[in-house]
Amino acid sequence: MSDRDIAIIGYAETKSSVQSGRGVYDIAGEVVAGALASAGVDIQEIDGFATCLSQTEATNPFWSPTLADYLGLELDWCQGVDLGGASYLGALARATQAIRAGDCRTAVVMGADAVTTTNRSRMSAYRPEWQWPVGLMGPPGTFGLLTNRYKTEYGLDDNALAKLAVVQREHAILNDNACDKLRKPLTAADYLASRVISDPIRLLDCVMPCDGGSAIIVTSTERAKELGIERMIHPVGYGERTNYRVRDPLVDILDGGHSIAGKKALANAAMSPADIRMFHPYDDFLIAVLLQMEHIGFCGRGESSRFILETDISYRGKFPINTSGGQISAGQPGLAGGGVNVVEAVRQLFGEGGPRQVKNPVNAMTTGIGCIPYIRNWSVSNVMILAAP
Amino acid sequence: MAEAGQWRRPQPIATSFTEEFWAATKEKKLVLQFCPESQKFQHYPRPLSIYCGRRNIEWRQASGRGVVYAYTVTRRGPPEFHGREPYIVASVELDEGVRILSNIINCSVEDIRVLMPVQLCWEPIENGLHYPLFEPAKR
Repeated sequence: MSDRDIAIIGYAETKSSVQSGRGVYDIAGEVVAGALASAGVDIQEIDGFATCLSQTEATNPFWSPTLADYLGLELDWCQGVDLGGASYLGALARATQAIRAGDCRTAVVMGADAVTTTNRSRMSAYRPEWQWPVGLMGPPGTFGLLTNRYKTEYGLDDNALAKLAVVQREHAILNDNACDKLRKPLTAADYLASRVISDPIRLLDCVMPCDGGSAIIVTSTERAKELGIERMIHPVGYGERTNYRVRDPLVDILDGGHSIAGKKALANAAMSPADIRMFHPYDDFLIAVLLQMEHIGFCGRGESSRFILETDISYRGKFPINTSGGQISAGQPGLAGGGVNVVEAVRQLFGEGGPRQVKNPVNAMTTGIGCIPYIRNWSVSNVMILAAP
Repeated sequence: MAEAGQWRRPQPIATSFTEEFWAATKEKKLVLQFCPESQKFQHYPRPLSIYCGRRNIEWRQASGRGVVYAYTVTRRGPPEFHGREPYIVASVELDEGVRILSNIINCSVEDIRVLMPVQLCWEPIENGLHYPLFEPAKR
């Protein structure tokens, strides 16, 4: 993958908002039109399409072709990706593979959701039988289990979580697309005093759902050059693991699939963790950022609190984290949430970060986390490394 | 807001391959899926052995003994649990080598600990069935 044969040539993102009253097709139209304009390509150029599912349209079993019809796309490759929060990055990876295989030439990768206006998703599988009767409070409950186990095994410095919360909030204040509801200064004391939902998970450990979306245009580097496009970045490494150690009933829930996905992405790119300029990890919970840092190898197991406290993780720093504010402070637009992290990585590498631009943006790592299984941590882990030309 | 005591445990919705589990709870027996080929238990119940990929599953009674692998104290639960909070949800590691998600009862939220030994106890639910819960081991 490190031969830079695939190019990302444009992107667009809506402003996130709570109960926008918008339809999901409206959001999709905004981001696709925006991404085409950003890349400078015509709609006729697009012959590939990958989209995250949408909680708003969760009951529609014909989602991706219907959405593509609304957008006026005639396609040789069309795919809906149902990897939960790993869907956005998974869709981008699948599009690069489809282009490389010759299934399509130029693809739109997108996510749009209006979950706080209309939510038609309904959880099932193990939950009605094995989870709902004991009152586990959804994802905060699962991350509560995880965090208490972490505290027992390694100890956890709440000041590290507070620092992450505060820095991501500072980034969101510099991001016009972040949810206005969240664009207010936050102190470490505010974080530490926030209400506990499912011990020890606080309200400010969790994402807030919102409406929004984003899109990316991806093609072969060769095609981008034919089109006369000069502004491009390249995916140079990718790894994905679903159901890490599912056949181990006594799995260490503090370990995870990012240990596999991260290693693979780094090997693809011929890089080590120290080579990564900035990190845009999927952040449904603050503790998930710490765990991914350990799994990918930015620090050892149990060392992420110290790493966070000793490192400048702001956009000015040595190791910037989630310079858009991440989902924690920009909002989580439903199943399109992964786009908040991925699109910021693209934006920074294009040098379009505005007041929060990272200096010397040579590369970025971004990740996804998808679905919550029965008392493990998460089902899908993916990691991508993007690089400037 | 519901008054304390008015909370109601959501009834489990059984599937075609978990009937044995719920039938055994009528007699307050905790049974787990066992794969005779790999000599391993699995939980939650699956439609095949996750170890060998065959549908050779047996059900075997579990000892009901284990330790708390992880826990969380729910301060604000789903609507059915309003009035019950705070309550403990835990991943209990059974002696049989599987984990089960349950509540720890007869234990204050201050006393719950990772690695605490626990034992099985039962709460009656609809149709003569019982739901498996755990409490601190009496030893």
